[in-house]
Amino acid sequence: MNTLAQKTSMAMPHLSPEQRAVLLRLAVLGLLGLALSLAAPAFLTTGNLLNVLRQASLMFLLASGLTLVILCGGLDLSIGANVALSACLAATAIKGTGSIALGCAVGAGCGLCIGVLNGLMVTALRIPPFIATYGMLWILHGVTYWYMNGETIHGFPPEFRMLGSGHLAAVPVPVYLMLGVLLAGTVLTQYTTWGQEIYATGANTEAAALSGVPVHARRLAVYALSGLMAGLASLVFLARLNSAEGDMGESLTLQAIAAVLIGGTSLFGGTGTLVGTLIGALILTVVLNGMNQLGISANWQPFITGVIVILSVLSDALTRKRQGG
Amino acid sequence: MNFVAIKSDNSPLRSRFDSVSGAAWLLVGLCAVFSVLAPSFLSGANLVNVLLQATILLLLALPMTLIILTEGLDLSMGAVLSLCTVVLAVVQIDSGSIVLGLTAALAVAIAFGLFNGLLVAAFDLPPFVVTLGTLGAAQGLALVAAEGRTTMGVAEGLRWFWDGNWLGLPVPLWLAALTWAVIHVLLYHTRFGARVFALGGNREALRFGGITVKWSLLWVYVLGGVCVGLASLLLTARVNGGHPTVAIGLEFDAIAAVAVGGTAFERGKGGLTGTVLGVLAVGVMRNGLNLLSMPSSVQVAAVGAVVIIALWIDSARGKA
Amino acid sequence: MTATAIPLLELRGITKRFPGVLALDDVSLTLHAGEVHMLMGENGAGKSTLMKVLCGAYTADAGQILADGQPVRVRHAADARALGVAVIFQEYSLVPHLSIAHNIFLGREPLNRLGLIDHVRMHAKARGVLARLNLDLDTQREVQGLGVAQQQMVEIAKALSQNARVLVLDEPTAALSDRETQRLFEVIGELRKQGVAMVYISHRMDEVFSLGDRVTVLRDGKYVATLRAGDATPDELVTLMVGRKVDMSYHRGERPAPGECLLEVRGVSAVNGIRDVSLKVHAGEIVGLSGLVGSGRTEVARAIFGADKLTAGEVRFAGQPLRSSPTHARQLGLGLIPESRKQQGLALMRTVCDNLLLAGLKRLFPSNVYQPGRGHAEGRRRIAQLRIATPGPRTPVQSLSGGNQQKVVIGKWLVAGTRLFIFDEPTRGIDVGAKEEIFRQIDELVRQGCAVLMISSELGEVVRVCDRAYVMKERALAGELGGEQLTEANLLRLAMHHG
Repeated sequence: MNTLAQKTSMAMPHLSPEQRAVLLRLAVLGLLGLALSLAAPAFLTTGNLLNVLRQASLMFLLASGLTLVILCGGLDLSIGANVALSACLAATAIKGTGSIALGCAVGAGCGLCIGVLNGLMVTALRIPPFIATYGMLWILHGVTYWYMNGETIHGFPPEFRMLGSGHLAAVPVPVYLMLGVLLAGTVLTQYTTWGQEIYATGANTEAAALSGVPVHARRLAVYALSGLMAGLASLVFLARLNSAEGDMGESLTLQAIAAVLIGGTSLFGGTGTLVGTLIGALILTVVLNGMNQLGISANWQPFITGVIVILSVLSDALTRKRQGG
Repeated sequence: MNFVAIKSDNSPLRSRFDSVSGAAWLLVGLCAVFSVLAPSFLSGANLVNVLLQATILLLLALPMTLIILTEGLDLSMGAVLSLCTVVLAVVQIDSGSIVLGLTAALAVAIAFGLFNGLLVAAFDLPPFVVTLGTLGAAQGLALVAAEGRTTMGVAEGLRWFWDGNWLGLPVPLWLAALTWAVIHVLLYHTRFGARVFALGGNREALRFGGITVKWSLLWVYVLGGVCVGLASLLLTARVNGGHPTVAIGLEFDAIAAVAVGGTAFERGKGGLTGTVLGVLAVGVMRNGLNLLSMPSSVQVAAVGAVVIIALWIDSARGKA
Repeated sequence: MTATAIPLLELRGITKRFPGVLALDDVSLTLHAGEVHMLMGENGAGKSTLMKVLCGAYTADAGQILADGQPVRVRHAADARALGVAVIFQEYSLVPHLSIAHNIFLGREPLNRLGLIDHVRMHAKARGVLARLNLDLDTQREVQGLGVAQQQMVEIAKALSQNARVLVLDEPTAALSDRETQRLFEVIGELRKQGVAMVYISHRMDEVFSLGDRVTVLRDGKYVATLRAGDATPDELVTLMVGRKVDMSYHRGERPAPGECLLEVRGVSAVNGIRDVSLKVHAGEIVGLSGLVGSGRTEVARAIFGADKLTAGEVRFAGQPLRSSPTHARQLGLGLIPESRKQQGLALMRTVCDNLLLAGLKRLFPSNVYQPGRGHAEGRRRIAQLRIATPGPRTPVQSLSGGNQQKVVIGKWLVAGTRLFIFDEPTRGIDVGAKEEIFRQIDELVRQGCAVLMISSELGEVVRVCDRAYVMKERALAGELGGEQLTEANLLRLAMHHG
């Protein structure tokens, strides 16, 4: 993928490396789409494409917060379990009080709290991020299972279900949410001083600290945001599935990581964009959707996702080595 | 990892004893608590049960100790173990041969170990991400391999490995003891073992080691693969077949056991004694909570909390 | 030790070149069995480089190495070890959670017939080696639990167990207490009796004269002289080490009279080891902070800047007390240009502009809204002002030369509106031409009314550039020099254990 980038750089010298990376990934997306529409006629229907968009938007909502954490040099393995617990709590709130607003607040609030806890473990307790969020993953898992006790909560008000399954002007609602988050997130990362500090912290934490950047505060903030986004994503997820149960969202973490990595964000921190993550989410969704269309068993999906993650990390590490990083 | 000199810990073996005795105290404490709360805990049958269940976890936790000593991690063990039970069951049932089934399972486990090890040792990739990817891959393969195939009802000969006795003791205990013995010798009585400690403690010390060092890192993950293969034998025998999600999350128990046993995630500190105690502690915790009718979800959360606390203590002690 | 004996080891005419710098220029050294040969010279004289050539870490561009009179090739560390050369670095290569005996024999553990480690034999051999050093340590103890001095002993034992005939000790007493130093001297005495030759790099005059048989002085990569310790005096050695330096075309321009006291450090001790340091810097001044490597200069800078916590004393900037936080230091107007700019001063993968703006974000954009247009304009302005050679503001800072990277770090603090700049070795790793530039920039800074605290190991720089200088010695302040007292010889005297 990288020599291709070099070749395109010669063809279009006026674009920045980030813009070239985005174009490259769009090209991959286009090629994938083309190949699939030839191989599986059902792929190119409006219904399916909208479905892909919906799925990708959902994946993006979750992966957006994760992108920030990774940009800042960290990692959050607990987001999938976060979605599960937040959705179950939100479901209980909606069913119990009939108030959608309360349910949304509970879901978002739960996600946020988990994010803050993760952030505190990493900044105050100095536990390495991957093990802290990994431990949190299992704690959340346990709490969710215990809370749900094997039961399912289903049947939510149609206004709420709009969030996940509805359309507005023929476009699925999650797409609007995705656009909103994309806009807000891009503004945050590219057009605020905090965004610049987050990139700097991920690129070289020590240098950022010695330049006066309050690194602990920034890191805590990104974990909190990641948790919040997981909470928000859980609401959309809940609305889409129209039911909540203990084992929701199990495959979401790996998929979110894959989306972020495909999108060009480096696992080592300091480079990447939300647009990249969006394209990554689209590419992954198209691949998984394509597999469905081609009649490949759904059981292959975790395998493909795992392989993609490994290939992305490998590519990332090799690129860094070549750059002498 | 450069350091001018290693910060002294005041007393010679205090660091080792601190964590090992900590695990021992935890174990004793848990036994005490559960024998009060759950009357059947101390019964002979139950204690034997705890030991038996612990054997599979021990088979995972032993190589995990070495991996963590090298400042690595293997998150894929549970998924690969599940995959291996499926492979073992399917091959055994289809071919009728236990040997063939076991060979296939071992081959798969070792292949994953090799893959993990290569990526970590040769390409310097972060272990947790690599093994997270292999986790997904193995999980997927397990689901695919089980699809539409008979995976339950293995031969009696196979089930002997769980139910059977040899010289008066259950077979799993023999296997676990044998594995422990081999790994103990590898870690404490070979140059390879010394390299494992150095990989975590101070890679600089190996600066004249050349390529052997990378090989050692690779072998650590391959060793994990071998043990996972063995564990799949026990697990398949116990469950009477294979299942693609039977061992999901077991790696977490293994990591917890290793952490509780005093092996740190940095600086090459720790050992097998602690791991054995940690495995027993985790086993007792799960068993006790089971007897109290706590769902496995609570058990998992409890184990998670214990890991975090163990890490916090380790981190606080390290910074002191 | 007769004069006609064949030297155990001889380095002849060693020359070593690095891009842009001649580290060693025709340097020679001979070592006889059982001698303690002191190697002296100021920072950057070439001592470490020479030793690295000796132990195979570097290959000389010209010159010969002879062992027992025969020419040998030392291309790798293994070659050096085969010759019996061992270096005790300041960074120990011990594995914390293995025993002493195991550390001594790491990679060479004795095996029994089964191919397993023979612990009994290993511990016996370890005790034997330690006995050669008159040491009685329990070989089962983990190295983790030992003090620094004892760890050093284990390192020496490790070298001896590989039949080292030449031991290179690089400032071995830097981290030792007086008693531990005595112990080390006793060990050195033992080794001398056993015919081991030792190269001992030191700055401590008392050690040089009490331990050394001969002294070799290097200066600017060149061989200056070899004297018998008994024949020399400390002043002579200092004069040999210092001396006419490479001619620099830097001309000290007009300096304004010192203005208000910007930085006041009173009785500061910190977690990093410095004790009771006090100093002052006024606007318009360039104040130097001199001293040997390891004397605590960087630690002083970090304590002032808030990177390390204080345990006593206080720091005031323009009268305001400073909290131990780089964020606060930056807010008040301090800036730190660290010693290793790649690891601590820059985010290599980010662009020149990103790096330039990082410390000044709050100042440029008080509403926290980042405007790329304004940002790039400011970046271009600084690039022009500092004459940074870069294809553009969006170039990754990684691709710039060392000198230009340093300018980016300086520029970063200019954007932040810094009034007091702390430079830690500003010209390290920068070629001569770029050095001039840096000093001109520094001059410009003080002309504008800023102040500079400059840590430098190059005595000539300190004398030429600074108005005054403080000297650190072993993590405490040794003294202050100004005016006519500010000479290289005086700086070195204060920094060393002498006069």
